[in-house]
Amino acid sequence: MANNTLGYVVIDGSETVIRGAALITDMKGFPVDFVRSEPLRPDQISKILYGESFGKYAKEKLVLESLIDAVESDPQLWICNDSDILTPLRNNSRVKSVLLEESPHVPLDAAGHVEATADPGVFLIQAEPNGNPLRAQFPAGVRPEDVQQTAAILTEAAQTMNVLEPFTRVEKAMTFLATGLR
Amino acid sequence: MGLRDFFTRHVSKRVNVYRIDDFSVEPPEVVKMPKRVKTVSKKPEVSCKVSRPVNFSVLKEKMTVPAKRVKLKGNSAISKSVRFKKYVKEDIKVHHHSFSKKPDTTRMTKQIQALPQERENILKTMKNRPETAKGEVLLACFGPIVEGSVLKLVLNKQRGTLLVWYKSSSRQLKAKYVYLVRRFGAGGKPEWRWL
Repeated sequence: MANNTLGYVVIDGSETVIRGAALITDMKGFPVDFVRSEPLRPDQISKILYGESFGKYAKEKLVLESLIDAVESDPQLWICNDSDILTPLRNNSRVKSVLLEESPHVPLDAAGHVEATADPGVFLIQAEPNGNPLRAQFPAGVRPEDVQQTAAILTEAAQTMNVLEPFTRVEKAMTFLATGLR
Repeated sequence: MGLRDFFTRHVSKRVNVYRIDDFSVEPPEVVKMPKRVKTVSKKPEVSCKVSRPVNFSVLKEKMTVPAKRVKLKGNSAISKSVRFKKYVKEDIKVHHHSFSKKPDTTRMTKQIQALPQERENILKTMKNRPETAKGEVLLACFGPIVEGSVLKLVLNKQRGTLLVWYKSSSRQLKAKYVYLVRRFGAGGKPEWRWL
């Protein structure tokens, strides 16, 4: 589980409640570990003292750290879909992290191909042989070898799974649990 | 100054100087004065005993110290009864507001393992479509799917996606694509094929 896994983190934040979940999958997308945080409800004093920064603070310091501490073992790569937690994810876990999104860009030459964009720290990665490349955002100061290693991991995973699909499952699970807990 | 001295000073500029060796003046008598000054407190003692500065204390009860006979340098007097408030130290309850309490987490691996993975139809974006026989049309393509690990496949007709359940025990990682093919003609049913 230590080396052939991918980690997905989703933190859903609003003014009234912040909750998150972390899913560790094997290379075919099958869950091997899943933890979710209890809903964090900021009280009035927190809102007044922290203001607008409370949401970011709660995501980075409270929910994310809880989730990382709770997973049984670190994956080889953390994948998130929120820029607020991209750098804290790497700093807290000491594992490579990347923010993945779909991109409208035309397909690159071949699977495994990496192309830099005009945005610093953002690359296009053709993980799957078919379809559009992924938009991959890395934490500030990422090394070129880390980008290549991440691209290799994603390309290998894309042979047996859809690397963005676990986000859908995590969000479904969180929605279901939030609805069920009310 | 005599006449001789006058002339000596103004004519010869000389003055007689007298030396006195015997200086037997008695030093003045020093008298020791007492260092301590007797003081008499005019305050009744009770006033000192009851004053008790207490920070953050709360009023608990009122007390009355009865009149007391006080001696003031031989004179006796009766002090007035004193009413005062008794303050008792108590811990002030402070509501500690913690911003660093991390939320608890719950492990729910079994529950999420029951959720299927969803594969979208990638037919439009495929670079190399599989060849089909004459009279057949390719309807959809889903993948990658690890065929050896599949527990169940269900086509979601509303969304046009394929739901995939895997066996938890399977460790296979050889992925394939599954196609949905339909034959033209009467009675032609859709058919699943692995590639």
